[in-house]
Amino acid sequence: MLGIRDLRVSYGAIEVIHGVSLDVAAGECVALIGANGAGKSSTLKAICGIVPVRAGSIQFEGRDITNQSGHAIVRAGITMCPEGRQVFPQMSVLQNLRMGAYTRTDKEQDDDLDRMMDMFPILRERQTQAAGKLSGGEQEMLAIARALMARPRICLFDEPSLGLAPKIVAGVFETLAKIKAMGMTILLVEQNSMMALNLADRAYLFEAGRIVMDGPAKELKSHPEVVRAYLGH
Amino acid sequence: MIIRTIAGAVALAISIAAGPGLAAEKKLAVGVADALTGGGAVYGLPQANAVKMAADEINAAGGIKVGADAYKIDVIAYDDKANPTEATNAVRKLIDRDGVKYVLGFCCSGSTSAVASFIAKEKAVMLVGNAAERSITTQKIPNLVRTRPPADYTGQAAGTFIARKGHKRVAVVGALEVGFYSQYVDAVEKELKKAGGEIVAREVFSLRDRDMTPQLTKIRALSPDALLVVGYVEPAAFVYRQSVELGINVPRYGFTSGSEEQFLRVTTSEQMEGVWDLRPTELTLLSASKNGIAYHENYARIFKASPSPSSPYAYDQLYALKAAIEAAGTVDNTEAVAKALRSLPVPPQVVMQYQPVDGKMFDENGQAYTSNGAFQWQKGKWVFVEDLPSDAKAYSLFLGTLK
Amino acid sequence: MLIEILQQTINGLAIGGVYVLIALGLTTVFGILGIAHFAHGSISMFGGYLTYFLMTGYGLPLIAAIPIALAAGVLLGALVEMLAYRPVRHANHINAFIVALGLTMMVEGINLQFFGHEQIVIPTTLSRVFDIKGVTVPELRLYVILSAILLVAAMMIFVEKTKTGQAIRAVAENRDAAILMGVNVTTIPLIVFGISTALGVAAGIMVGALFAIAPGIGEGLVVKGFAVLILGGLGSFPGAILGGTVLGITESIAAGFISSAYKDVIAFAVMIIVLLVRPQGLLGRAP
Repeated sequence: MLGIRDLRVSYGAIEVIHGVSLDVAAGECVALIGANGAGKSSTLKAICGIVPVRAGSIQFEGRDITNQSGHAIVRAGITMCPEGRQVFPQMSVLQNLRMGAYTRTDKEQDDDLDRMMDMFPILRERQTQAAGKLSGGEQEMLAIARALMARPRICLFDEPSLGLAPKIVAGVFETLAKIKAMGMTILLVEQNSMMALNLADRAYLFEAGRIVMDGPAKELKSHPEVVRAYLGH
Repeated sequence: MIIRTIAGAVALAISIAAGPGLAAEKKLAVGVADALTGGGAVYGLPQANAVKMAADEINAAGGIKVGADAYKIDVIAYDDKANPTEATNAVRKLIDRDGVKYVLGFCCSGSTSAVASFIAKEKAVMLVGNAAERSITTQKIPNLVRTRPPADYTGQAAGTFIARKGHKRVAVVGALEVGFYSQYVDAVEKELKKAGGEIVAREVFSLRDRDMTPQLTKIRALSPDALLVVGYVEPAAFVYRQSVELGINVPRYGFTSGSEEQFLRVTTSEQMEGVWDLRPTELTLLSASKNGIAYHENYARIFKASPSPSSPYAYDQLYALKAAIEAAGTVDNTEAVAKALRSLPVPPQVVMQYQPVDGKMFDENGQAYTSNGAFQWQKGKWVFVEDLPSDAKAYSLFLGTLK
Repeated sequence: MLIEILQQTINGLAIGGVYVLIALGLTTVFGILGIAHFAHGSISMFGGYLTYFLMTGYGLPLIAAIPIALAAGVLLGALVEMLAYRPVRHANHINAFIVALGLTMMVEGINLQFFGHEQIVIPTTLSRVFDIKGVTVPELRLYVILSAILLVAAMMIFVEKTKTGQAIRAVAENRDAAILMGVNVTTIPLIVFGISTALGVAAGIMVGALFAIAPGIGEGLVVKGFAVLILGGLGSFPGAILGGTVLGITESIAAGFISSAYKDVIAFAVMIIVLLVRPQGLLGRAP
């Protein structure tokens, strides 16, 4: 479904991703794990067209989307739930959710809105409140629901647990598991490697802008290197 | 040798063809400093036009005759934007660079006063037009004369007129930060008080103000029995319009000297109906003499617009200058010309109706007086209703006592 | 006294409406692009001049000239964004600032060249006056106030209820997130400039009909517009509406009850006092 070949990304003169290749199949949940600054988030941003691709290619459903503009990529079916939630703080919860469906023209948006609020009852409760007034966990729920409102064919999650209390993190991952169970294709970037590997089918391990290991999540979880460096007890 | 002879013959032939008779034809450059753009241009531009028109007429009639010479007039006009600095620069340029000895125009008091402050030191003669600030002719500047009477000369007559109408509580809104407008109001107040009346409000607007409803609302709350509007045409027109919009239903008097055209750009004729303008009897068709009617026709034909009522002040400057130069018999001796101006009878070609003092157009202060008139807006036109009671001789004596 | 206060309030509402329209344009542009669009006033006055020109030059009635001028405003705004501001979009902020100043001078020059230095008054036939228990409301002012309310309401509905309007808000609040929602951040500034300029043109027509348009008026209005933004709270729509209305009425009441000579001074003094008490403006959020 999503195929990346020899991706290189640089910020100014500094290259941060040095030739990354990865694949995500339809219905799969793939995690990118690794230390802070290893290039996981930059990879997601490159897919979404927020940072320019210097070399390599990104294919989605057989189409080349390398360096297409951000809005075209969303229309192609790729949605990202960004790091730090990035809700629209002065807009209401409802308006935020509707912004998620910005590219859609079908008539089922209200049904989806209902579904999202069933899934996240807190959003129904707070629907007229300004999104900026929600707690961090609630904002994360809103960001996830907003991403799903686009009816994407693949949903990218960038550090959904960042800055949240452990109890809330567990709730977020429960939600992600539910979304996965609905059959959504997921590409997840997460520093909490244990939670990510528990959720994902497959995973790629990033180190300093390169992929150093990949395979089924279960295998990575028990790999001594991974255990020592990322799952350390 | 042959070539020189031919050239001489050609030159002679040209001078015979061009000049009347055998007199040698010469040029006399006359400067105009006036507001050609900006807020003062409603007064200044028509003045500059009027000077050019007078020059063309004089040239067509043979020019200014001094002895055997006839001088054709060249008009050099500079824009002083009614600004003192610009006016000073314009006159300096005229005198120093263009070698001009006679400067005309001068519609606006601030810029005119600036030039008046140094003109006494120059070998030049300054003729002031529409600028109404009194102090311009209280300084006894020997080489300056003014065709328009000072504002309070008219204000005194206006006050008498308003008092005779029986008004006791008059509210004023005007450009009172400008000296001559407040002098006009002071003179009105003096006459009102004599008759037991008073001025109940003095509200101010500036040249660029267009919304006078706050001032008028304040005035409305005082229930005056008359409104007096003194100031430049453009803001004054808005005052008249907005007074109707606020339902102020009292007789309105003014001191603006705007033409019908200028008012109708801002107001409807209905909004102006019944407004009085108490001012020098300037140019309006109904009060106009034969000269005035001809002036109006010629101006309208040449400039494709009606002349502003005050524009003949400048037109008359040039005819007065012509008569003075001819009487003095010199174009170079400006002192003699200045002197001749002060002993000049009113020339027959002038448009305004001057009231000579002791038979002279300009009194010893260099000031001319016109009659003052009460004009009323009736169905889209300024109508001359009556002369205002004014005494030029008495005012001239009073002016002479001021510093 | 009460009638006087009410009358002064009505007096101030019309010019307040003009301030609101100018400020809404400025705040929308500022919100999306972070640009202090100084040329806004001069371009707005261009619209007023254009209306006058269409009426006197081509004999169009006011009602026909207005939509043409508004459409020209949309077009002009889009052009300004494309030709003036887009090239400096990613450059240092000072660049956009200088472009804004240069643009102001250019538009003022164009206005002067095309329409002259004389003041122009847009002629209307609206000269009736309504008298409500001693408070008079001139027909023209009433229409100006109503049109301003209508335009502001239309703008609010557009921003709150339409997708494009929501996208404009979203870009203003979080540009990157808006891209992730699929918002085309190249066309949004075009739309914003188009709408803002049309609102400005409406304000220009109102000024031209109520008062007069002359060189320098637009620059004065843009200063008032920014004062309104600061008074109401930067980037706040309701703040711009409240701020503009407050400024218009304050000016009128100050001129009526204190002195017309200090109208502007008093208005700015009120602004400074408000900012001392609420540095974020009337409706701005605390930082």
